Amino acid sequence: MSEHVSQTNRVLSYPKGGKPAIITNEWQVWHGDETELSNLNPKQKVLVPFSWWLMHGQAQVKDSTSELAKRIQEKTIGVWFAADDDILKHLDVIEAGKSIWPLVGADFPVFRDGRSFSTAALLRERFHWTGEIRAIGDVLIDQLILGARSGFDSFALRADQNTDVALKQFDLFSVRTQNSWRDCRSQLSNQLTEAV
Amino acid sequence: MYKYDYIDQTLVNERVTQFKDQVQRRIDGSLPEEEFRPLRLQNGLYHQRHAYMLRVAIPYGLLSSEQLRTLANISEKYDRGYGHFTTRQNIQFNWIKLEETPAILADLAKVQMHAIQTSGNCIRNITSDAFAGVAADEYVDPRPVCELLRQWSTLHPEFAFLPRKFKFAVCGAKEDRTILLCHDVGISLKKNTNGELIADIYAGGGMGRTPILGSLIKESLPWNVLPSYLTALLRVYNRFGRRDNIYKARIKILVKALGPEEFARQVEGEWASIKDGDDNFQQSEWDRVAKHFTKPAYKTAEQISTEDLVQSALENERAAFARWLERNVKAHQVPGYASVIFSLKPHGSVAPGDATTEQMLAIADLADQYSFSELRVTHEQNLVLADVEQARLLELWHKAKAQNVVLPNIGLLTDIIACPGGDFCSLANAKSLPIAKAIQERFDDLDYLHDLGEISLNISGCINSCGHHHVGNIGVLGVDKDGQEWYQITLGGEQGNHAAIGKVIGPSFGAEQIPDVMADIIDTFVKHRTADEPFIETYRRLGVTPFKEAAYLNRSKESSAAGATA
Repeated sequence: MSEHVSQTNRVLSYPKGGKPAIITNEWQVWHGDETELSNLNPKQKVLVPFSWWLMHGQAQVKDSTSELAKRIQEKTIGVWFAADDDILKHLDVIEAGKSIWPLVGADFPVFRDGRSFSTAALLRERFHWTGEIRAIGDVLIDQLILGARSGFDSFALRADQNTDVALKQFDLFSVRTQNSWRDCRSQLSNQLTEAV
Repeated sequence: MYKYDYIDQTLVNERVTQFKDQVQRRIDGSLPEEEFRPLRLQNGLYHQRHAYMLRVAIPYGLLSSEQLRTLANISEKYDRGYGHFTTRQNIQFNWIKLEETPAILADLAKVQMHAIQTSGNCIRNITSDAFAGVAADEYVDPRPVCELLRQWSTLHPEFAFLPRKFKFAVCGAKEDRTILLCHDVGISLKKNTNGELIADIYAGGGMGRTPILGSLIKESLPWNVLPSYLTALLRVYNRFGRRDNIYKARIKILVKALGPEEFARQVEGEWASIKDGDDNFQQSEWDRVAKHFTKPAYKTAEQISTEDLVQSALENERAAFARWLERNVKAHQVPGYASVIFSLKPHGSVAPGDATTEQMLAIADLADQYSFSELRVTHEQNLVLADVEQARLLELWHKAKAQNVVLPNIGLLTDIIACPGGDFCSLANAKSLPIAKAIQERFDDLDYLHDLGEISLNISGCINSCGHHHVGNIGVLGVDKDGQEWYQITLGGEQGNHAAIGKVIGPSFGAEQIPDVMADIIDTFVKHRTADEPFIETYRRLGVTPFKEAAYLNRSKESSAAGATA
């Protein structure tokens, strides 16, 4: 690491069409079990578990006097999807969420678990989600390209990951052989198809 | 043969750089082994019993002579002078140093080869018919589709961390030579009545611990929508395949749990939303790829009868040459041509599928001289020259003899499929190579082997069944009991259009008993067969009982005799 600082407060942001950069993390991931949401600083931007949102969030949205409704209005609430959340079973909730949540996350409980790549792909393809999708959990350097192409545009890297190496990942490949959220396959996007 | 364009070559070159960086981070300690493991596996690099093993992809089994020379040079420079051709049409090197892998990959990239996705929980090297494009019984040349799918699956971002490995096979002939139904996805290509290329999709097949034959889940899919359909299929598997238990993580378990109809329905549901998207192949892509699989410059030649071919040999060679023509030479689409199989199963001397540096170099020369500089790797672990003029078969036979690859045992009992087993593989419970060797030594009489006719014998050193023992007419599976190596026998397996999973006949045997057990099974077959009936038909007619009785009767005599002397 170039600087010996904790990187939990840092997020790698890689907007579609933009450049990768390390930015300050404004969002806390709340797991729903360690404390009550109301115990968190009301100004803190929080990603709540999607399962919690289904149980508690929706009802409170309708009650404009609730604390959650206030947070929603202030755009300080988003949700994160667990790897085993079946988002296709909640089409309406997510459709409504598009105008409510400024950010959604998808979790990697362990780096080997690739379900959230499909979650991100579905959010982009099926829901036409245009907002930010953040990879959270066990997010490692060598998953960044996969995530960026599946639909993620920010990454809360695990604290021990080297940000210098991370930032260089997106320059490794200049071509691709299948479509993704970011680009279509090189074969269709340019004419550099002469045999070598 | 397919030639990389700028995009393919750039991708492979950039992949070398990426992996070099990952290896460097492993060596400097910034990447822990646990996190490096899936990365190296996705590049075919295993950590085996003695050393690292590198598995190099041979997409759909097709190889140029130049590529084979590079493989030979790698075996010389970085290994111990040989390579092992595998049941997935790959080649692996057993004695690799981690720090040398980037250099090997760079050598491979120069001849348009790589090791991408030859292992790991991702889409593996796509296999196909070793006789694609030349087989007399072919409906459709599967290679353009294989190549398009190779590209589509290479470094696919969404499917690099699947629940488990994922294997495709593609077939386009009347006779299935790909074990289509033992794959996670089998793609059967044909043409509809309008002459359009379509695919039937089978899913949920596989061997391993729970052998299951795949189920037909989609019929008559137009070729160009394969990417969107397969994305939908893999997405369902990625999301709902089991991750809690490695033994239940393959797609076959998901398909079985849901039932093929429900699985197909879910795929269909997913596909409905992406089927009209821009993922699908375009005609321009087909045109670009397919032009590499046109027919080579065949001469106009008369078909030569086997009789005339045999007569062209010297009298003292005729019997041996005729036997080679019968077993190792296959019919071709073009008159006057044939396909030749080089046996990598010399009796009792090397591991099935092994080829030395010298052999690889010499075979590359033979491919240049006799077969348009191309070769094929079969899933039975042999090599094929696909386009040989019949008139030059005798000459080729003479030259190939010097390389010890003309043993006429193709399809016979000693054409054994075997994984590297406990001699190399760290997963294995038992050795496979000494078992193969002992059986080949016992059944060394070629006349007898020819009389026995077609019998497939497959050996796996563990339940992962890399030796495909489930589909061998006779299967041998190494098992571990209290730290000792034992061998379980299955009978009745078959590959091809009548694919079947063999049945275990009973308690396992000690290694030293296996040649005798084989002899008892074979004797039973000989005793009961009618005329030229193949083993599998005799087995189907009689059932397992007589074979089982024969296998255990002598063993119980042996143990009581041993008991009497003790």
